[in-house]
Amino acid sequence: MSEELIETIKKEFRSDILDEIVSNNEHYLTVNKDAAVHICDYLYHTLNFPLILIFATDERAKERTKDGCFKIHYVFSCKSDLFIIIKIKVEEKSPGFPTLTHKIPAANWYEREIQDMFGLVPVGHPDPRRLIHFEDWPAGLYPLRKDFDIRTKPPRVKGEYIYRRVEGEGVYEIPVGPVHAGVIEPGHFRFSVAGEPILNLEIRHFYTHKGVEKSFESMSLDKAVFLAERISGDNSAAHAVAFCQAVEKIAGVDIPPRAKYIRTILLELERLYNHFGDIAGIATDVAYPFGAAHANKLKEQVMQLNEKVTGSRLLRGMNAIGGVRRDIGDKKEMILKELDSLQKDFMELMELLISSPSVADRIETTGRISNEIAKGLHVVGPAGRASGIDNDIRRDHPYAAYHKLDFKVPVIKAGDVNARTNVRAYEVYESLSLIKLALSGLPGSEIRTKIKKIPDGCALGYTESPRGEIFYWVHISNGRIERCKVRDPSFCNWLAIEYAVLDNIVPDFPIINKSLSLSYSGNDM
Amino acid sequence: MFDIIIKTLRTGRVTSKYPLKPDIAPVGFRGKPELIPDKCTFCGECTRVCPPGVIWLTKEKEEETLTLSYCGCIFCGMCEEVCPSGAIRLSQEYELASKTKDDLLTIIRRTV
Repeated sequence: MSEELIETIKKEFRSDILDEIVSNNEHYLTVNKDAAVHICDYLYHTLNFPLILIFATDERAKERTKDGCFKIHYVFSCKSDLFIIIKIKVEEKSPGFPTLTHKIPAANWYEREIQDMFGLVPVGHPDPRRLIHFEDWPAGLYPLRKDFDIRTKPPRVKGEYIYRRVEGEGVYEIPVGPVHAGVIEPGHFRFSVAGEPILNLEIRHFYTHKGVEKSFESMSLDKAVFLAERISGDNSAAHAVAFCQAVEKIAGVDIPPRAKYIRTILLELERLYNHFGDIAGIATDVAYPFGAAHANKLKEQVMQLNEKVTGSRLLRGMNAIGGVRRDIGDKKEMILKELDSLQKDFMELMELLISSPSVADRIETTGRISNEIAKGLHVVGPAGRASGIDNDIRRDHPYAAYHKLDFKVPVIKAGDVNARTNVRAYEVYESLSLIKLALSGLPGSEIRTKIKKIPDGCALGYTESPRGEIFYWVHISNGRIERCKVRDPSFCNWLAIEYAVLDNIVPDFPIINKSLSLSYSGNDM
Repeated sequence: MFDIIIKTLRTGRVTSKYPLKPDIAPVGFRGKPELIPDKCTFCGECTRVCPPGVIWLTKEKEEETLTLSYCGCIFCGMCEEVCPSGAIRLSQEYELASKTKDDLLTIIRRTV
């Protein structure tokens, strides 16, 4: 199947393909810069492969002898567990590359990110403003270029950021943030309203950009696991596992089956407490404190269970390259007992929540994301599945022990807050059953493979976090990280909120925001 | 409404009286790393693996000092994992707030 597919692509674009590398389930095709848009368009529209990631690398030093240049990678996810990565070369002398955003809207932020971090210019991009850099960042400084020193303290310059404007009689702007009430992170929301309905929303993020990808570079691999774990606090396990899997793939190591099962259990525990927390948040925002209190109680129960099982409420410190650091086999009975109580309480709670007219009135038809928008922006995770996007990395590109366990992927077409709440509720039941299945089938006794030397190479690591798919592309050279590209699901989903709120009223914004469950930290990095 | 009252009554109170009553963390909790001075051989293995780099060895004249700061500790337990003599281990202690940074240092010394 996958060979036929590659043959079809090669036949179609024979003259434009310069080089081909296959490693594991990743197929790298280096193509002519000018043909990239055409090929990506073909993969996306004709073959229906979603574009999941675009990133750049600085390989000027490595290939100085030949043709030192930057490279841009377009990653497509195909059926039958295959990734096609289209690579183009971009010279430092002519830093332009053709934009893909007109054909594939999901390319928008990636291209702007590359523009800010590498100084490569997406020619013809519909919105060429800065994305990550703020106006006080000096022009011509590109942090992810290899010649940029991480200790650089750039001077502040004067500049201005221009927001999109909606003008007309009775149109007002409401600026919200970047400082918000409560303990959440910073982000700016600029609403244009006429009365209560929202005419336009523009979001501005990256206030907490920490240079995580730069920090990864030249870090030792064992320490990097802990950095990955801290990129988005409530998705710690998913980030750590994704990173470890990328490194294990490069090392060509198959970790012990018991470690795979334990990882699966950790990932599902993480999904449980996140989904409980999200449902609690939605209940809070629709002024249904009874539901919020009970959902928060469930979340707390899972976090306390996490603490008993792993020693950390956020499941930290469990993953390492080559497996896991602690066995959880002796905690089996305790986990099973807790899961039964969670399941019973959650069913009771959902019955009350769904049958409450005051909740239904606020969440039904609120914040609709149409299937077309969701597909165009590549909305991932429960938010995507609530808009009819049938994507789940656990099923499409199985990792850990998922290919051995039976589970369903709920998909709803409505695309409103109600649908996103229901998708999460169904996923809770699936997670509960997955943990039980994994616990009952815990194989072997080994939990970690010792890896002596990791060869040079690159690979993708991925997990389905509670928010959606997380991708790591790790390139190792001499036992150190040369480049680590991280894509958190929130990077895809943030733009969807600009569409979800249209024609809704301002007081519904918090519910819509909560129902999408977006991470600032994972997005800003 | 009746359902809600029943559910509420059946659930009862779930919060604890902490901090009035101590809340002891479970066994295996990733809490404050503790140094056992008698066992430490000052080999420096822990200083090399600590991701935030909050354990360091210094040598002055005839005295070796191992300092552990809880300021940046991420409780990963790498120090515990690599210590060949079991001289450092994570404890169940989690109440680490202090008014000065000096209170967050643990220092052990030996004369060479």
